[in-house]
Amino acid sequence: MGAVIKKELKTYFLSPIGYVFIGLFLTMFSIFFYTDVISFYSTNFEYIFYSGSTVLTFIVPILTMRTIAEERKTGTEQLLLTSPLSITKIVLGKFIAATLIVVITELFTFLYYGILCYFGTPHLATALLTMLGFLLLAMSYISFGILASSITENQIISGIITVAAFVLMLFLPYFNTAFTDFSLINMFAKFALGQIDIANTVTFITFTILCLVVTIIVMQRRKSVR
Amino acid sequence: MIEVKNLTKKYGDFTAVDNISFTIQEGEIVGLLGPNGAGKSTTMNMITGFIEQTEGEVIVDGYNMLKKPKKAKKEIGYMPEGVPLYTELTVKEFVTYMAEIKKVDRKTRKERVEKIIKQTGLEDVQKKLIKNLSRGYKQRVSMAGALVGDPKILILDEPTVGLDPKQITEIRNLIKELGKTHTVILSSHILSEVSQICNKVIIINKGKMIAIDTPQKLEERVQNKNCIYVTVEDPENKLENIKNKIKNIKNITLLEENEDNTKKYIIETEGEDDIRKLIFSEFAKENITIFEMKKADTTLEDAFMKLIEEGGEK
Repeated sequence: MGAVIKKELKTYFLSPIGYVFIGLFLTMFSIFFYTDVISFYSTNFEYIFYSGSTVLTFIVPILTMRTIAEERKTGTEQLLLTSPLSITKIVLGKFIAATLIVVITELFTFLYYGILCYFGTPHLATALLTMLGFLLLAMSYISFGILASSITENQIISGIITVAAFVLMLFLPYFNTAFTDFSLINMFAKFALGQIDIANTVTFITFTILCLVVTIIVMQRRKSVR
Repeated sequence: MIEVKNLTKKYGDFTAVDNISFTIQEGEIVGLLGPNGAGKSTTMNMITGFIEQTEGEVIVDGYNMLKKPKKAKKEIGYMPEGVPLYTELTVKEFVTYMAEIKKVDRKTRKERVEKIIKQTGLEDVQKKLIKNLSRGYKQRVSMAGALVGDPKILILDEPTVGLDPKQITEIRNLIKELGKTHTVILSSHILSEVSQICNKVIIINKGKMIAIDTPQKLEERVQNKNCIYVTVEDPENKLENIKNKIKNIKNITLLEENEDNTKKYIIETEGEDDIRKLIFSEFAKENITIFEMKKADTTLEDAFMKLIEEGGEK
């Protein structure tokens, strides 16, 4: 599994994908930082993250759309699937690598925290909790993105499926409040208020595991229908 | 080393591989031969565990591919059709990655990678990105990836497709060399390749196994039905009578009439005897002049075509 993680991380930074992901996120984060801090004179680090979470909708697919679809298209999945590695380890390896990119991105945001510290006294515990929630949200999104990547060999299609699902989650609650409880991004809101919500944490983790398990089943199933 | 029992692969109603069984001993170089779409790749994909069979089983070095995939897969080095590679990596990075996923021991990994790069003649290009390499080199990189896990069995799907003649010779020599220390299965639709490299041939057509034998024996099998080509001048059309005089002759067919009044016939004979001498003397008695007489050589090509036709009729 370590080999897959290492290779995936390497690929993220050999192609522009890794840089684009981190760059786009930090650009948007900076804009939110500017509007929140300069315009509203707020030193709430977590508010910026709350605004930043909407960006995930559009940038997580960049990370995940090629993960499995590309291997399938170029045939390199034959190399992986005929190696002694189990499908579970292959999928987990890809998931962990994408998650690590998000972790790296989060580490960069400490710069902004540093700036806030210079001007005021932001609350560290809340900030860390927000980052944890943000990571959980990102993990759910990544696992869904990988699932979408496993059902097609066209990475564009997998990207579109992923964006469409996230956009629905983002906007449906505005049309009907019944959807509020099904929107992952809304579940993240509580973390940004500094609360550890067990129900939401469990939901994020369950959703992640569910998506990964379905991905593994899809790949296992394809062995017998291909 | 490899045992394939009643292997069947169905896609809905279509049967891609139909009840194939064979055993491959250690150290054999086996050629999987068949026209395009015969089921060669599907068979190989099942042996390597890339896809699962509908029925039957594959046993690799004593391990059942479905029940003990980790152990079975460790013994196989696979070079898939179309040489899929991670083109964004360098040659060395790729071979190292393959060594890692093939579970080569961490301590010996670096050494092993260097050894394989040397063996496959990739030293000069090891720092280059794979996407910038020529087809021949890509083929070698794929071969290196298959070899690096130190497998007992090498499975090569169409290893020489798309190469120029010089590269083909090089790859063939490499396969021959590897055959001394590995059990090799390679697929091809080029017969000369198989007869040169392999000591056993499995012919597949439309998913069915038609024959399994040595290249020599396969040639002999079809050679019994001998054919002799003759070009004669036969103004009185006496050739028809010959058929009654030599009992070994089964059939005489006119192939073509040439402008100089000679005719080309094909004479099919029965039995092992060479009747050219007899034909010569009998033709002379009948005043038929022989311009040309030739015993048809059966090549593996003929054997292949014949077996495929026969197999199709069944």
